Amino acid sequence: MKGYKKYYGQKLFWYLLTLIFAVILNFVLPRLMPGNPVSALAARAVGGMTDSRAIEKVINDYIQKFGIDKPIYQQFFMWLGNVLKGDFGVSFSQYPRPVSDIIHSAVWWTVALQLPAILVGWILGNLLGAVAAYIRGIFDKAILPIFLFASNIPAFGMATFLLFIFAIKLGVAPASGGYGYDLIPNFSWTFAKSVISHYQLPFWSIVLITIGGQAVGMRSMSIYELNADYVKYARFLGIKDSTIVGYVFRNAMLPQITGLALSLGTMIGGALVAEIIFSYPGLGTTLLTAVTGQDYPLLSASTLIITIMVLIANLVVELLYGVIDPRVKANQQD
Amino acid sequence: MGNVMLEVNHLKTKYITRFHEDVYAVDDVSLKIEEGKSLGIAGESGCGKSTLALSLIGYYFAPLHYISGDIIIDGVKISDMKPDEVRKNVLGNEVAYIPQAAMNALNPTMKIIRFIEDVMKAHNIKMTKKEIYDMARERFADLGLPEEVLNKHAVELSGGMKQRTVIAISTILSPKVLIADEPSSALDVTSQKMVIRMMRELMEKGYIKSMIFITHELPLLYNVTDDIMVMYAGQIVERGTAKEMVFDPIHPYSKGLMGSIIVPESGVREHKLTAIPGTPPNLKNPPKGCRFAERCRYATPTCSAMAPEIKEFDNGRTYRCLMSVRKIREVYENGTEPGNETESE
Amino acid sequence: MKNTIKQVFHSGKFLVGFFIFILILIICFVYPLVVTHDPLEMVGSGNFYKPGTYVSQQEAVLDPFYTLNIDASEGKLSLLLGEEEIEKMKEYLVKYAEVAESEIDTSDPEAMVELWQERYDPELKAKGLTSAKRKSYRRLDGEIKDAQKSADLIIAEKDSETGELEEVKKIKGTSFVNTKDILNKRTFLLGTDNFGRDVLTELVAATVVSLRIGLVAGIIATVIGLLLGLLAGYVGGLVDNIILFLTNLFTVIPSFIILILISYSVGTSARGVMMVAVIIGLTSWPWTTRAVRSQVISLRNRDHVNLSKLSGHSLARIIFTDILPYIASYVVMAMILQISSGILAEAQLSMIGLGPATTRTATLGLMMNWAMQYAAHLNGSWWAYFPVVIVIALISFSLNLMNTGLDQVFNPQLRD
Repeated sequence: MKGYKKYYGQKLFWYLLTLIFAVILNFVLPRLMPGNPVSALAARAVGGMTDSRAIEKVINDYIQKFGIDKPIYQQFFMWLGNVLKGDFGVSFSQYPRPVSDIIHSAVWWTVALQLPAILVGWILGNLLGAVAAYIRGIFDKAILPIFLFASNIPAFGMATFLLFIFAIKLGVAPASGGYGYDLIPNFSWTFAKSVISHYQLPFWSIVLITIGGQAVGMRSMSIYELNADYVKYARFLGIKDSTIVGYVFRNAMLPQITGLALSLGTMIGGALVAEIIFSYPGLGTTLLTAVTGQDYPLLSASTLIITIMVLIANLVVELLYGVIDPRVKANQQD
Repeated sequence: MGNVMLEVNHLKTKYITRFHEDVYAVDDVSLKIEEGKSLGIAGESGCGKSTLALSLIGYYFAPLHYISGDIIIDGVKISDMKPDEVRKNVLGNEVAYIPQAAMNALNPTMKIIRFIEDVMKAHNIKMTKKEIYDMARERFADLGLPEEVLNKHAVELSGGMKQRTVIAISTILSPKVLIADEPSSALDVTSQKMVIRMMRELMEKGYIKSMIFITHELPLLYNVTDDIMVMYAGQIVERGTAKEMVFDPIHPYSKGLMGSIIVPESGVREHKLTAIPGTPPNLKNPPKGCRFAERCRYATPTCSAMAPEIKEFDNGRTYRCLMSVRKIREVYENGTEPGNETESE
Repeated sequence: MKNTIKQVFHSGKFLVGFFIFILILIICFVYPLVVTHDPLEMVGSGNFYKPGTYVSQQEAVLDPFYTLNIDASEGKLSLLLGEEEIEKMKEYLVKYAEVAESEIDTSDPEAMVELWQERYDPELKAKGLTSAKRKSYRRLDGEIKDAQKSADLIIAEKDSETGELEEVKKIKGTSFVNTKDILNKRTFLLGTDNFGRDVLTELVAATVVSLRIGLVAGIIATVIGLLLGLLAGYVGGLVDNIILFLTNLFTVIPSFIILILISYSVGTSARGVMMVAVIIGLTSWPWTTRAVRSQVISLRNRDHVNLSKLSGHSLARIIFTDILPYIASYVVMAMILQISSGILAEAQLSMIGLGPATTRTATLGLMMNWAMQYAAHLNGSWWAYFPVVIVIALISFSLNLMNTGLDQVFNPQLRD
């Protein structure tokens, strides 16, 4: 038990540190750049070059709230204070909506889409990969190149394929949005049905992409494990293949879990771009509107939220891993 | 004379390399072990002794393939059985195997006791978890292994402990034949000694009825096994009792093997260190004549042309050489090279 | 060395990947030599023209005719019979002519017309068939008959003085033009994009630019990763701890987010193709650092390195002669992956509008971005984005295959 405590303590501490760094980066990086969007804002306000009163108001509000005219460390703490209160300022592009409001509505779409999709894809991919490794032969020979190719299609590419086939050609699924454009979000059956039908294509694009990558990885992991000495030894003790496959699957799974932790960021990034193809009302589409609308407060808040989401997901994966792999405990005791 | 536990007649197997070449690593091997006896097999690395170990078990999977010959365990011919049958009824409870790389032989993410339960389950032994645990604890205690080991994962054990655990698991069903492939070679001296002692205990306490111990250190066998066989290039070149083999090796290769190793125990090493020059022949294409001819300092042109057969002499000792025993002894005594004349019987 | 290269080329995976990649490169070099149009020339003056060969209509009319005994009415029929007309025919047939709906195949105009001729009765009086409706059906019938008559088309010129039309040329239903005779034509194998540019030509140019972005990003990431990895692995101690911390930090914080933050902040004026490549390179070194570091650590205490250390060789010499040659294969593999992920990163960045801020150069990502902005994916203009997706997938597929092939040669354990 002592080993676990140490492991969890270390992990929590490390992620907290990472979070602090991520927050600082989110604040500092834009301000270090030559084209610095923040000073551009200040310049726009001071120079009175505003095109409309609304924008001017937003910018002034932003400058006041975030103290852009003050020294940078003061700015940071003002910004941090506001962020901790959940106050990211007012959006330029969707004035007068507060940024936190936009993010709040987008986050849940993204979480509800990506979390199940990545999980389902990960599980299916690992199962398929293990089966491919175990059966080998024709199944493997036919499936592997398909998976190999599929795993190299970018998520947005898969999104366009599904969209073209199922929405444009077959017309069996809606092409864009998170729900019917004629509906107002509520708790009715019609709305739920609309949400579910809009959910299909983005969900399956992410699932398929994840399956491809995971299956390829799991297959070679399993083959590696199938050649391990403990497999031979178990065989020589007369243990059944079905039992041995259980060992192999479990052991091949473990690196896949660590792999998941390492690639979550990349996967989520890809999935966010896939959202854009479907104009899905999540954070990916929010990023696009922030960029096209030159909406710095919205962009900065989106990136911060995405980073925090990835960190949390990673932390959960690593904590789970500690429970599953006895080697973690063994290492801690040394 | 006790019951014959393991009898092998003219066993021939091959393995297939990654480049799809056949390697005949076990070529016409015959041997016999009686109840309560142990046999050591020695040879350089690459001589096919590990392949022989795997072949003796009677269960073949790629890249190892069975070609011909009989394997009979306690009167049951397992070389005629279907692989699945062998696996279910023979492996683990009739023949047990201790692998060379025992370090990695245990599933790293599994508790030892869970694995023992799986071994039991595989042989349809109806025991509750409690009964299995008690049985395993007793056996472990008897072999000097602490009880905690049962509830640990392989990764939590030290190298020596891992090897001893593997030995205990392999023999938990009290098999008739135990085949140990270099069980001690990767260990430090202390652990090596413990492993050797454990092997002897297994025999003494009757947990195994016979044993084959494979190693590249011929003199090591002197203390462990009753008989010793020397293997070269896929074939048995000599067999005798441990004492005979160590003090009176007949085959030039056995002699070389004895000489090439420094043994700390007094009395064993008297000759000066003489490593055998050259490398063993490529078994993809074994030479036509005597396989040792190329490296043999006593070889004559006939040796490269004619393959020697196994010959018996004295009290059941066997060897494989074109020269007669008398001639060989003479040559060894004089320390001279034999002329061109070779006695072929 | 020679042996290793030989082995690499014996790996099936590597060969397939290598072959695809080289094919892409050859196309990128040869295509511009054959098709010399400016890849970004806006030929079409509308959005998304379908793939095909476009011939000058005027020239087609003016060119000499050949008479072929082919019934050209079908083409005309489908020209005449739009969705609306087909629906109208179907309505009549089902409602008034008692044809079962299952017998009607709206996708086959010829069969429809046949059925129509068989069943249409201009004198029919039925309930619900108002005279206005009957008139409109008669008009439709007339149009169908006209189309079937294959009447000649007349090209007329307006007399500048009298303003009267004067017949210049008559085009018969059996008149055909040989496309070889037509000089003014252009083939768009993959149609045109939203700006009216030839997608294929643009795609080739974009692939070159994207490969260059991948290469620059890959080199930068590899150099940084190699330096940091060597430093961390060889020097160890505090330096290693700091570098390891940074590496872990930037593996957990998604590089995609940092990429977005930097790209946005750099501003549109500075964000050219090379700038994007540099930014991608600067954000993707952690993977290489990780790989190099662990390799160097395993090398650090090998005998030959220790021997060099004891012989008093300089750090640079040890690194160049005793370490680099041993990790070269890993570095090459890591770089191949960096190139492929760099190309993907550019594409994704461009899709959220943070790619190179230019319409003067095409990249694979920008092509994707333009197509999406003009809703090509919603209006069925597949040619504007599928080829791009396929090229991206092929490049990354081939590079990954090469990487796997190399991995199998250098890490025999992974062989299967």
